[in-house]
Amino acid sequence: MVVKSRSQAAHQRLCISERALGHNVTFHPATCDVLTFDVSTCDVQTFRAMKPHYAKYLALGLFLALAVLPLLAGLGYVLAYSLGLVGFRSAGLTLVHWEAVLGSTFFWRTLAFSAYVAVMTIGLAVGAALWMVVTRPQAFLQGSLSLFIYFPLSIPAIVMAFFVFQMLSGGGLLSRIGYQLGLMEGLEQFPGLVNDTWGIGIITAHFLMAAPFFVILFANLYDNEKLAALVQLARTLGANPRQAAWRVAAPVLLQRAFAAIVLYGLFVMGAYEAPLLLGSQSQQMVSVLTIQKLQRFNLADIPQAYVISVAYAVLVLTLAVWLLGRGKRGDAR
Amino acid sequence: MANRLIKYFFIGLLLFPFAFLLLLSLGRGWAYPDVLPQHWTVENWRFIWGIQAGLGRSALLSLSISLGIAGPVTLASFVVSKFIAYDRHRRRWLVLAYLPYVFAPVILAACLQGFFLRAELSGKVWGVMVAQLFITFPYGVIFFSGFWNEHMLAMEQLVATLGGTVRQAYARVLIPIARGALMTCFFQVFLISWFEYGLTTLIGVGKVQTLTLKVFQYVTEANIFYAALASCLLVMPPVVLLWLNKKYVFSRVG
Repeated sequence: MVVKSRSQAAHQRLCISERALGHNVTFHPATCDVLTFDVSTCDVQTFRAMKPHYAKYLALGLFLALAVLPLLAGLGYVLAYSLGLVGFRSAGLTLVHWEAVLGSTFFWRTLAFSAYVAVMTIGLAVGAALWMVVTRPQAFLQGSLSLFIYFPLSIPAIVMAFFVFQMLSGGGLLSRIGYQLGLMEGLEQFPGLVNDTWGIGIITAHFLMAAPFFVILFANLYDNEKLAALVQLARTLGANPRQAAWRVAAPVLLQRAFAAIVLYGLFVMGAYEAPLLLGSQSQQMVSVLTIQKLQRFNLADIPQAYVISVAYAVLVLTLAVWLLGRGKRGDAR
Repeated sequence: MANRLIKYFFIGLLLFPFAFLLLLSLGRGWAYPDVLPQHWTVENWRFIWGIQAGLGRSALLSLSISLGIAGPVTLASFVVSKFIAYDRHRRRWLVLAYLPYVFAPVILAACLQGFFLRAELSGKVWGVMVAQLFITFPYGVIFFSGFWNEHMLAMEQLVATLGGTVRQAYARVLIPIARGALMTCFFQVFLISWFEYGLTTLIGVGKVQTLTLKVFQYVTEANIFYAALASCLLVMPPVVLLWLNKKYVFSRVG
């Protein structure tokens, strides 16, 4: 196809691209006005070459300034602070804060507890969502459930934590119902489900937020990947409904959603609001411990808070790269 | 019949938190072991505009911050994501955009607190808005990265070939096509800002009293009725948006 170019700006761009890339453009020898331009020779690379570079650099600069620089500057600052190089009471390079944190059992217990909460939450939420979608896929793709399943996503973490507290605490709704049903004689008999050492309240709050998210994700993937046809094929080849659901549909869903599962897991690991309301003092999650150390009146705790921040950042980034790398290798296979 | 019952039971479960919070916001006096509060009143809801509580002021502040963030972030991330999506290092840029989320916003805020203190942005609405930019802008870039594909590139090529300027390409072609995606991104960024607690607490040092801070304040004061009321105000906008049209609020860009 050959078209005539009219605007001055387009003429200039086409002249430049013609000169740079030698594409099929004819132009007036004196004025450099483009006479004709063969679109079939203009591929993606040509178009990229035609783009004004200053706009690209401006856009990428803005991205770096708002998405990357704060993170790097923040990490650099807290690393320097934790090493005693900057900040109030800095006394030159020292590893004393790092030794204090890394040598403390409480820090490692906090990390392990955060990982435990993330694994439990994701395990339960993914398991429940997978079961719901592979057994009743159409229920979440059409009809009223396909709308109402979105509702829990409109509840922020702090409100969900408050709701779970009002449900599961000693004076909560479940305890009251238990009393009215004659299952117990007082709130002291109700098991401690919030502010407990096992993080049951935290896991419940995150489960209630994560399960609908994964149901929506799996239902959309089920539809996009045309798994209904695959399940039908498996049934034709002799698989029973359970085998078709769990040995055909479920592995595909898990593999396609692997990155989202990993990222959600890391998000739960760094969660703050629910652990703040539903956690216990003896068993904290990493965000709560960091902020608590940062906001204490003891100034010696601030470098330790920063040590935890840096250590946590290194840990989650390593985990993310490792897990997502594994997922990619799995996809390739 | 059994399937229908299960479905309605499940819908009931999904709606239960909303009903419970609404009931609690209308209650007074909930002594153990009563299952329901002893008194019902709309007095709590009148409290929203009470001078002392400032709940209405918090709602307006949250609304202003969220709208102030959602508009510019949507437009900026729409433009920037185009350059990232067409860049040869697209994947690397997008990995960088995920970092603030992997890192946990509250820890990011902890790392940046020193800078905000020095810049005298700590405890100010502007400071909170700047801090929220650091988590909402990367989200917008990730959101729009799927929008810019070969088809969009071909459309833009066509505009340029026919003599259109870059501005015309945006105004006449790209923005009209992306209207649905822009609306979705706007609402999602609005919700991220509307729901934000940890980062707002740390950068706002408790002085920027958004609705999420009010919920936490009432919970720590053991004022469950006002906490439920603030929670209702917090979940109301997303629920209304969802009710109006779920595809504009939570659907993904195709």
